[in-house]
Amino acid sequence: MPFDPHFIARLIPALLEGAAVTVELAALTMAICLVWGLLVALAQEVRGSLGWIAGGYIQLVRNTPLLIQLYLVYFGFSMAGFGLSGFASGLLALCAQNGGYVAEIYRGGLQSVSVRQFEAGRALGMRRWTLYTTVILPQVVARVIPPLTNQSISIIKDTSQVAAIAVMEIMKITEVWVETSANTYDVFLGAALIYLALTSIAGLVGKLTERRLAFAQ
Amino acid sequence: MKEFGPLIHSFWYLLRGAEMTVLMATSAVVPATILGVLLSLLHVFGGRLLRSAILGYLFLIRGIPLLVLLTFVYYLLPLTGIDLPPFWGVVLVISLYYAAFISEVFRAGILSLPQAQWDAARSLGMTRGLLLQIVILPQALRLAAPPYVSLCVSLVKATSLVSIVGLWELTMASREVVERTLAPFQIFIGAAAIYFCICYTLALYGRHLERRVLLGH
Repeated sequence: MPFDPHFIARLIPALLEGAAVTVELAALTMAICLVWGLLVALAQEVRGSLGWIAGGYIQLVRNTPLLIQLYLVYFGFSMAGFGLSGFASGLLALCAQNGGYVAEIYRGGLQSVSVRQFEAGRALGMRRWTLYTTVILPQVVARVIPPLTNQSISIIKDTSQVAAIAVMEIMKITEVWVETSANTYDVFLGAALIYLALTSIAGLVGKLTERRLAFAQ
Repeated sequence: MKEFGPLIHSFWYLLRGAEMTVLMATSAVVPATILGVLLSLLHVFGGRLLRSAILGYLFLIRGIPLLVLLTFVYYLLPLTGIDLPPFWGVVLVISLYYAAFISEVFRAGILSLPQAQWDAARSLGMTRGLLLQIVILPQALRLAAPPYVSLCVSLVKATSLVSIVGLWELTMASREVVERTLAPFQIFIGAAAIYFCICYTLALYGRHLERRVLLGH
């Protein structure tokens, strides 16, 4: 029977427990990707083999499904002798994939600053460090916030795929509860609402950050 | 080379899975595109009620993972008694999902045209239909083409999720082979390579289109 209050009272804590895992996974992924993506983006600017490897890495992770990367890490590594837990495999695969996207976001931000600004800064006799910290980077940061917000929303949604390697986050808990209770509507409605709440919060945080940095435009 | 024996033996099987992936992706991309263009036009030109309905739809799709919707339909179809083959069920979900993203891309294309073009066309006495048909849409579609192709890449990758709800395509095929051969590393790398060939070809085409768009300005 749908919308049975007793059932919902038991369902909500279970889903929230899953939500904690989802949030942890998504937040860690985002934090690591902010740094890892920057490293990849900088490496890509280097001429020679390092730049080539960074570019190849970006194309590889962007053009293969996350699910295959998850399986490769989870099953492949355990077969090779150094097995990782489901959570660690999920984190590794999520970072690998989203790092490629974040690197592209940074690159787009850097390229959107006009060459003339670099020239003007140099013509004024600014040192490289001053030029970057006072002129270029504030603009880049302001410009990458909206796409990074979108990326964080997509990371939250992507974490649902780690259900396939049995991590007990929202999606897996949803599956388990649907299988055992046959109360399909309640469970899916609950899961969808939690995902909507999480992605809305991520969007809101992005909007607020964007507004705070609006002076740089 | 001996280690890659399982992959070589099952490569033909994986390719048949890839055929299914391509079939599924093309079956989904056609209705998604048509619906996406329609939604973008209604979003830009529709009344307030219609616009808020579309905004609600976009909010739901942007906030809920595709996997949740796919699993929901998987459990829902038997309950409702709708006699829809699973293949068309997932194609329906994927196309409804991507229609939302495609509509945003086309809407951005329409809105990025300068106001002067609308004014010019109107001052020439064009009706709205003619204005759309010969001035706005040809340019908007060309502008939207590169991000549209990236969405197609993302759609191809998203078809891997249907393996979780039990449909047979490349990811499912590779999982079957792994269960038989116990060689996850080799097989999943093979599957990733096939996905990469499909997606990277699309991505290269997108980059080619992008260069053409930049030349046109």
